[in-house]
Amino acid sequence: MSWQQVLDLIISIFTTQTGLPNLALNQLFMLGVALLFLYLAVAKKFEPLLLVPIGFGIFLVNFPLAPLMGYTEHGTPELIRAFYKYGVEWEIIPCVIFLGLGAMTDFGPLIANPKTLIIGAGAQLGVFVTYIGVLFFGFTLKEAASVGIIGGADGPTTIYLTTKLAPHLLGANALAAYSYMAMVPLIQPPIMRMMTTPAQRRIRMRQLRPVSVREKILFPLIATALIIFLVPAVAPLMGMFMFGNFMRECGVVKRLSDTSQNALMNIVTIFLGLSVGATMAADKFLTPKPMLIFAFGLFDFAICTIGGILTVHIMNYFSKEKMNPLIGSAGVSAVPMSARVSHAEGLKADPDNWLLMHAMGPNLAGVIGSAAAAGMFIAMFQ
Amino acid sequence: MNQNNTKNFRKTIQFFLLVTIVGWAGFGNAAGLFTFEDIEKPKPEFARSNGVVTARLVPRAKSSSVEIHFRVTDGGEMELVKGVDFATVDRPEVDVKNFKSAAFEIRIKGAAQDREAGVSIFSDFFTASTAFYAFNPNLEKPWIDTHATNLAQQGRVREMIVTVKDGGTLDADGAADGVITLIGGPRDSFWGYALGTLFIRFFGIFIVLSVLMMGMILSGFVFRRFDQNKKDISGDSDVNNRPENDRLEVAAVSENEVAVIAVALHMQMKHSYASSAADGKETTSTYGLWAAEGRKRIMNDRLIVFNRFNRYDN
Repeated sequence: MSWQQVLDLIISIFTTQTGLPNLALNQLFMLGVALLFLYLAVAKKFEPLLLVPIGFGIFLVNFPLAPLMGYTEHGTPELIRAFYKYGVEWEIIPCVIFLGLGAMTDFGPLIANPKTLIIGAGAQLGVFVTYIGVLFFGFTLKEAASVGIIGGADGPTTIYLTTKLAPHLLGANALAAYSYMAMVPLIQPPIMRMMTTPAQRRIRMRQLRPVSVREKILFPLIATALIIFLVPAVAPLMGMFMFGNFMRECGVVKRLSDTSQNALMNIVTIFLGLSVGATMAADKFLTPKPMLIFAFGLFDFAICTIGGILTVHIMNYFSKEKMNPLIGSAGVSAVPMSARVSHAEGLKADPDNWLLMHAMGPNLAGVIGSAAAAGMFIAMFQ
Repeated sequence: MNQNNTKNFRKTIQFFLLVTIVGWAGFGNAAGLFTFEDIEKPKPEFARSNGVVTARLVPRAKSSSVEIHFRVTDGGEMELVKGVDFATVDRPEVDVKNFKSAAFEIRIKGAAQDREAGVSIFSDFFTASTAFYAFNPNLEKPWIDTHATNLAQQGRVREMIVTVKDGGTLDADGAADGVITLIGGPRDSFWGYALGTLFIRFFGIFIVLSVLMMGMILSGFVFRRFDQNKKDISGDSDVNNRPENDRLEVAAVSENEVAVIAVALHMQMKHSYASSAADGKETTSTYGLWAAEGRKRIMNDRLIVFNRFNRYDN
């Protein structure tokens, strides 16, 4: 073998089998984006449970020639493609996450004050306003619905709906949803103060009534029946959510409930995060649509917050027993972050006013409301 | 804290606007602003049976396929029906979004020259407001409303009947030659649908959650009555069957426990006060004299414990 042949071989190996010469500028940009999200998750603790795997997924998939999101010659999915195909594309992981969320949720505050369900409905205003807004920017109806649901502030619902309606926007929608959920304490307070007077922020609410164990056990059954009768399309999400909650409340399957809340939830979170992150390859992500999605996601969250607070104002107008409008912002879901924000804002106005449990009602109603909105959209396109 | 939050909010908005603009400028298709690839283009597949041609396709804004049937009612025989790429017939006066099931070319043979033929297009995908628009490239304004008759049939099927004259306005080949070529498609109002469905579905969520609310209020009422009755029968002795919060009231609380709870409350309040003070916000204590007095006593007690010079004297 001559030196020339050795040199040719080395060059050939370098250009075809290593990543460096194949690295494009947009991939480099996306690696920077991945590092930014990892920084936000690790240093700033922004939704780290999701943003760490999502960020690392973005990081992995943007290296050139990496066999992660493609198919082999024989049609076998590569590693992360397999997670995505069987977990996300088959719509399994978001539903399993809902199972875990159900097992973690105490519906006590919502059962004690069912009126707060209406706040959860009002807080879906942004979902529909954004849906119309993005249509003006050339999005299709299905894409618009998947972008609108970001304001519901419910990650698994966003992922579930986007997978069904606009899978090509999955990465951008999921990232926008989780990023803004993490930024709820920054986004909501100025809007809350703008929408309320100091006197309204000081409104004290009557202590919630005690809820019996029997009520808590029967709630998931009643809620499942009513919701699925009215919106059958939401059965996969709501069914799993309420099943998880039933396991928690019935008290006889503690092991199953514990697994749903912890081990199972953690396992699927890893696969979900990696899969979603891996959909953000530079050639797919760096297009105008994801950029618009980020802009509209913020708008969506703001309108949903306004919708929730406005609903409380309207309810107060017709009701003798006033509610503190600060709990309206918790209707955007983002459990329990937005309820905590309501509580913190309430404490600023009156240090003895404990709103946390009152805000948990609309917060949980927001989860049901956003799932119902997703069901409405799914039914619309069937 | 308020100012910090407002600043952070502004920074967040600025950051994402910047990302959006930079991203758009750097990677967006500036020439085709708000114009994206047509990813929902319907791809009809045709089947023919007993003179009826059936197109099966996934229309725009749908996830499932629908069937559209074509037949000639009188005045000729159906020769073929095929799909037309909307890009080839797109004109400024029409919006592709209004044509959810795209456009078709329908060719009728054996029509008597200068005579009319009737084309029936029926599907359960059509609504009462669906119209049929025809395209004739020989006209100055190629797209025209055919004013098709829209009839309700059994099983939620709507039928549109278009009357076409050989060599007439709707005949795209323009010649009275016994062959009629009708190019066009069913048209629905995209924005009417989008806005209509917006209101219906938003209020649909209110209805769903209102029904759930009523169910919960009703079941809550029943359960409370049930628990109350049970309590009355058992003479208030069955603690285990009572709501959780009631159990707390019944449980005996020792003086030590009261003291621990008081200290915990005090520490919590102290923490809130300290946080507010650290944020530079002026705070007004609303704890009252009893809290101030309690706090003073606790601090004095702590002094005794931690003051190593005086500790043994007390």
